[in-house]
Amino acid sequence: MKSHKRVNHNPIARRDFLKSCARALAGGSLLALFGLTIRKTKAKDASCFWQIDPTKCTFCGRCETNCVKLSSAVKSVHAVKVCGYCDLCGGYYRTNAKELNTAAENLLCPTGAIQRKFVEEPFFEYSISEDLCNGCGKCAKGCNAFGNGSLFLQIKQELCKNCNECQISKVCPAHAISRVPVSNVYHLIDTL
Amino acid sequence: MKKTISRNIAIVSAIFMLTFSVMLITNYFQVSCTNTAHPELIENLKQANEELGNNPQLQEQIRELDLMARRAYFVSLYRLKTGAAILLFMAMVFVVSLRLYFANSKNIPNKEVDPIDDWMIKSKARKWMVLAAGGVVVGGFVFALLSSPYIKSFEEGKETSLEDVLVETIDIEEVVVDKVIIDEIAIDKAPEESPVAVAVEVPKTTHSGFRGNNSLGISAAKNMPTSWNLSTGTNILWKVNIPRKGHNSPVIHGNKLFFSGADDDARELFCYELSSGKELWRTAAKNISGSPSKMPDVIDDTGLAAPTVATNGKQVCAIFSTGDVICADMEGKQLWAKNIGVPDIHYGYASSLLIYNNLLIIQYDTQNKPRVIALDVATGNQRWEKERPEKSPSWSSPILAPVNNKPQLILIGNPGISSYNPDTGAPYWRVACLSGEPAPGAAYVNGIVFGAAEYATMVAINALDGSILWKNSDILPEIASPVACNDFVFIATTYGVVATFEAQTGKLIKTMEFSTEFDSSPIVADGKIYLICTDGKVFIFSAKGDFTLLNSFETGEKTFATPAFTDKKIVVKSEKVIYCVGEKD
Amino acid sequence: MNRFPKPDFESGYVYPQQQFVIPNEVLWSYIDIAVLVFLMGFVTWALIKKQIRWPVVLTSVVSIFYFGFFRNGCVCGIGAVQNVVLTLVSDSYSIPLYLLLLFTLPLVFAIFFGRVFCAGVCPFGALQELVNVKNWKISKSVSTVLGVFPWVYLGFAVLFAVTNSRFIICRFDPFVWIFRFGGELPLILFGVLLLIFSVFTGRPFCRFICPYGAILSLFSKISFRQVKITKKECINCSLCHNACPVDAIYPPYQNKVNEIRSKGVHRILRYVVFMPLMVAAGVTIMYMLSDKISRVNNDVRLYDMAMGNETNHSNVLSLELEAFWGREQTLEELAVRVEEVQKGFRIWSIIIGAFFGLVIALKLIHLSTKRGRKVYDISSAECVGCGRCFSYCPQNQKKIS
Repeated sequence: MKSHKRVNHNPIARRDFLKSCARALAGGSLLALFGLTIRKTKAKDASCFWQIDPTKCTFCGRCETNCVKLSSAVKSVHAVKVCGYCDLCGGYYRTNAKELNTAAENLLCPTGAIQRKFVEEPFFEYSISEDLCNGCGKCAKGCNAFGNGSLFLQIKQELCKNCNECQISKVCPAHAISRVPVSNVYHLIDTL
Repeated sequence: MKKTISRNIAIVSAIFMLTFSVMLITNYFQVSCTNTAHPELIENLKQANEELGNNPQLQEQIRELDLMARRAYFVSLYRLKTGAAILLFMAMVFVVSLRLYFANSKNIPNKEVDPIDDWMIKSKARKWMVLAAGGVVVGGFVFALLSSPYIKSFEEGKETSLEDVLVETIDIEEVVVDKVIIDEIAIDKAPEESPVAVAVEVPKTTHSGFRGNNSLGISAAKNMPTSWNLSTGTNILWKVNIPRKGHNSPVIHGNKLFFSGADDDARELFCYELSSGKELWRTAAKNISGSPSKMPDVIDDTGLAAPTVATNGKQVCAIFSTGDVICADMEGKQLWAKNIGVPDIHYGYASSLLIYNNLLIIQYDTQNKPRVIALDVATGNQRWEKERPEKSPSWSSPILAPVNNKPQLILIGNPGISSYNPDTGAPYWRVACLSGEPAPGAAYVNGIVFGAAEYATMVAINALDGSILWKNSDILPEIASPVACNDFVFIATTYGVVATFEAQTGKLIKTMEFSTEFDSSPIVADGKIYLICTDGKVFIFSAKGDFTLLNSFETGEKTFATPAFTDKKIVVKSEKVIYCVGEKD
Repeated sequence: MNRFPKPDFESGYVYPQQQFVIPNEVLWSYIDIAVLVFLMGFVTWALIKKQIRWPVVLTSVVSIFYFGFFRNGCVCGIGAVQNVVLTLVSDSYSIPLYLLLLFTLPLVFAIFFGRVFCAGVCPFGALQELVNVKNWKISKSVSTVLGVFPWVYLGFAVLFAVTNSRFIICRFDPFVWIFRFGGELPLILFGVLLLIFSVFTGRPFCRFICPYGAILSLFSKISFRQVKITKKECINCSLCHNACPVDAIYPPYQNKVNEIRSKGVHRILRYVVFMPLMVAAGVTIMYMLSDKISRVNNDVRLYDMAMGNETNHSNVLSLELEAFWGREQTLEELAVRVEEVQKGFRIWSIIIGAFFGLVIALKLIHLSTKRGRKVYDISSAECVGCGRCFSYCPQNQKKIS
C-alpha cells in the first residue's frame, strides 16, 4: 500500500525511475552499437584513404573539376619503369602532332606540366611537375591509348583532404575511386 | 573609446569583406567557367592547325594564346587562394571586433516574443506540428501518386473509350476470320509445299561478311564445283543482273544471299533467295537524319557501295559512302538506320562491316577523325568508340582473330596494325609499320597476324604481345587481302604475281606469275584456294603441298568482288551480274 | 600493356627516383581522439563544476583551429553517423576504430554530462558560438516544429547511408568549405547565411539542422549531471532566460490550465491511438517514393541512363555509359544489381517512414504533457552548453564579488 502510494503520488520519484530506465536503455544501446561495430573495425589496416585504381580509370577528366580542393588532389603519375621513353609519346603529343618538338600546338597537356628531356637516341625522359598538373588526365588517356600506360592518375595523399565521402568517387563513371589501407595507399604500376 | 575603435574596425572589415567577396565570386566564376586551363578557342585553333597544314602564323598565334591562357589560369588560381585567405583573416578581425564591441553589453530584450504560458506555447506548437506533418503527408501522397507508374497505366486505360472497345471487338472478329482463311490456305497448300521444302536444302555453312566468317578468308564450305562456264551454263544454277552498282561482295546466311548497291538515286540492301536467285526483299537507306542530300565525291574504283554487308543470322547491316548505316531483320523489316557522319575520304568509303556477337564493328578511318565504332546490332546504339592515330584513311576492313579463343579485332591503317578487345574497344597492341593508303585486310592463323600494303611491307606479328616475327617487302598485295591457313600465307598482287610464304618464318615457298590483275581476295575452301582476277578468269590452287594450279578458266565477266562460299555453292558477283555456281541435280 | 619494349640505355642512364608521401593519418587520428576527450573534459569541468564560460570560448577557438583548419574539419562526429550505420548493416564496409570513437565518445559524455560536445568541441558549434552576439528570440512554437527537421535529416541520412548511396550529411555540409578555403558556391552561400543568422540568434545549424545534435539531445535529456545555472537558489529574475541564445531556459510556470484532467488524458490517448496511423502514413509515403528516392544511388541512375539510351539512343554517350560498356558488364548484371539496390531502398524506406511517423507522434505526445516549474530551469535536451547564463545570474555574480 505504501509503495503504491509513493509511485502514484510522487511524480519526482516516478520521473527518476523513468530516467534511470532511459539511462539504462541509452547506455545499453550505445554499448550494443559499440559492440556490434567494433567487431568490424580494424585499428591498424583500416581502409581510410581514397585512391584511384588505374586499371579501372577511364580518364574522363572529372577528377580535375570535382575535387573539393581548388586545384585537384589528383595528379598524374609517371611509372618510369614502364615507360617506353618514346620520341612520339601519346601522353605528351596530340594525336595529330605535326612535329615532335615542344611547340604548344603539338602538346597535349593544357598546363604544360609534362617535361621532356632527351636521354639518348632514340629515348626521351618524361616527368611531371606536380605544381602545374591539374589532374585532367589527358596525358594518361593518350598514354593508355597509344603507349604502355605508364602515365596514370593518382590521389596525392599529402594534398588530399581525406573527406569522409570523396566527392570525385561519387561522380567517377568507372567507380575507380575507393578507400584503401595505409599499407597500400598508392596503386602504382611497377611492372608490365 | 575602445568600443568605438572596435566598432569602426568591425564596420571597415565588414565593408572590406563584402566588396572583396564580390570580387572573389566574380573571379571564381571566371575560373569555373573556363574550368580548365585550356579554353575552347585554343583547342579549336589547334585542330584547325592540324587540318590546315603548315601555317607558321597560326602556330605562332596558338603558342601565344596558350601561354596567355595558362598564365591566366594559374594567376586566377593563386588569386582565389590568397583571396580566400585574406577574406578569412578579415572575417576573424570582424568577429573579434564585434565580440569586443558587444563584450560587456548584457542582452536584455524588452519585449517577450512568447507569452509566459507554457501550455499555450505547447498547444500552438502542436497545432503547427499537425499542420506541417499533414502538409508533408498530403504533399508526399500527391507527389507519390503523380509519379507512380500505376496512375499512368490507369490514365491510359481510361482513354480507351467505348468506341475503341467496339473497334477492338470488330478487329478481333476480322482477325478470327483471317486466321480461318489462312488456316484453310495452309491446309490447301501444305501438301504441295512440303516436297518443295524437302528439296530446298538450307546450307549450314555461312559466309557472314566480307571474305567469309570473321573476314578471315577461310570458308568451311565443302564440295564446290571446280569449274563452271557462264556462256554454256555448265554448273551455273542461276544468273541475274545486279540491280544497282556496288563493288561490295555477296554474303550468305542459310538460303539467303545479301549484298548492297547504290547510285545517285538510291542506296539499297538486297536479299535474294540462294536456291533460286529470286529477289526476296530490298530495303533502302532513306530519310536518315544527318544523311547528306548530295552524294559525296567518290572515284569509280570505290563507288557508293564498296563496303560489304554483314549478318549474324538475325540482323543484316549495310553501310554506304554517305555514312548511312542501315539494319534489317532477316525478313527485310528495317530495324534502325543512322548516319554516323559523312566520311571525308577523297576516294570514298570502302571498309566492310564486321559483326561480332551483338556488336557491329565499323572501321571508320576518315581523314579528320580516324576511329573504330561498335554499335549494338539490335538497336544501333553505340557501345564504344575508339579514336585511331592514323595518318590517312584506308580501304582496309577489320578482321576478328580467335587468339587463344579470345577474339582480337585487328584493324589495318596507315601506319598502324592494331589489335583491340572487340567487347570494349580496349587496345591490346599496335605495330606502326605500314604507309600509304592500305587496302588489304589482315590475315590470321595460329597466333600470327599478317598485314601487308603495297609500297610498304608485309609483316607477321605475334598476336599475343604485338612483337614482329618477320617482315618481307619483295612481293606485296595492293588490293586483295592475304589469306593464311595451316602453315602458309598466300597473297595475290595487282601485277599478276601470286606468292606463298611460310607462316612462321616468312620463307617464300612458291611464286607464280600471270599476266593479269588481282583485286578480288583469295578464299581458302575445301583444301583449295579460289581466286578470280579482274578480267573474270578463275584460278584454283591446291592449298597444300606445292600449291599447284589445279584449274583456271575464263568467265568473261569483269570481277572485283570476292565470291561467297557455302556447301556445294559459290556466289560470284561480277561488275554487272551475280551468279550462283553449283552442280545441277 | 606493353606496346613498346623497355629501352636498353647505353649512356648509363638511371631511372629517376620518385617519392610518394605516405600519410601519417593513423597517428593523427589518435591525437584527434585525445584532443577530443581532453576538450570535452575541459568543457565539462567548466560547465558542471565551475560554471564559467571562458573555457567554452577558448575551446571553441582551439577546436576551430585544430579540428577545423588543421584537420580540415573532416571526418567529424556528425558525418560519422553515416559510417556507423553503414558498418552496422554492410558486410563489406568497416570503419576505422577512431571514427567509431569519434561517434561514440560525445554520446558517452552526453549520457553523463549533457551536450558538452556541442558546447565548443564541435567546430561547427564553435563557429556559430563565436559569431553569435545577439539572441533574438524565435517563437518557441515555431522553433519546436523546426526542431523536428534534424530527425528527418537523420532519417534520410541513414536511408542513403545504409543503401551505400551517398553520405548526404557530408555532401551538404554548410561549413566545411571554410576549412577547405573554397567549395561549391550554393553551399558557401548557405553557410554564410547560416553564419549571419547565428550572429542574431544562437546556433541555427545545431538547433534546426544537425542530425547528430538530435541524437545528442536525446542522450542529454537523461544525463546524470546536467548543467545548472547556479548552485544557489534561483531568485526568478528571468535574466538567464533572456541571455540564452538557444532558448533552452524555461521560465517558472504554474500549471493552471482551465481544462479538466480527463480531457488532457484523452488528448494524449488520442495521439497514442493515432500513432500507428502516423507510422502507417510515413511507411506508405516513403514506400511509394522509394523508387524515386533510389535514384540517388549511382547504379540506379546509370541503369536509368542506359535504359533511356536504349529506347532513345543518341550518338554521344555520357561518360557513365561509356565507362559502363567499357567495363565488360552487361545490362542484365546491372539490372540485377539495381534490383537489389531498389529492394534495399524499399525495405529501408519502410523503416525510415515508420521512424518519421514515430518521431512526429512522440513529439505530439510530449507536447501534450503538462508540467509545472517553480524556478527557471534548463531543458538539458536543448541546452548546448555555451555557458552564457552563468554570468547573467545575479546569484553567481554575488559569488564572484
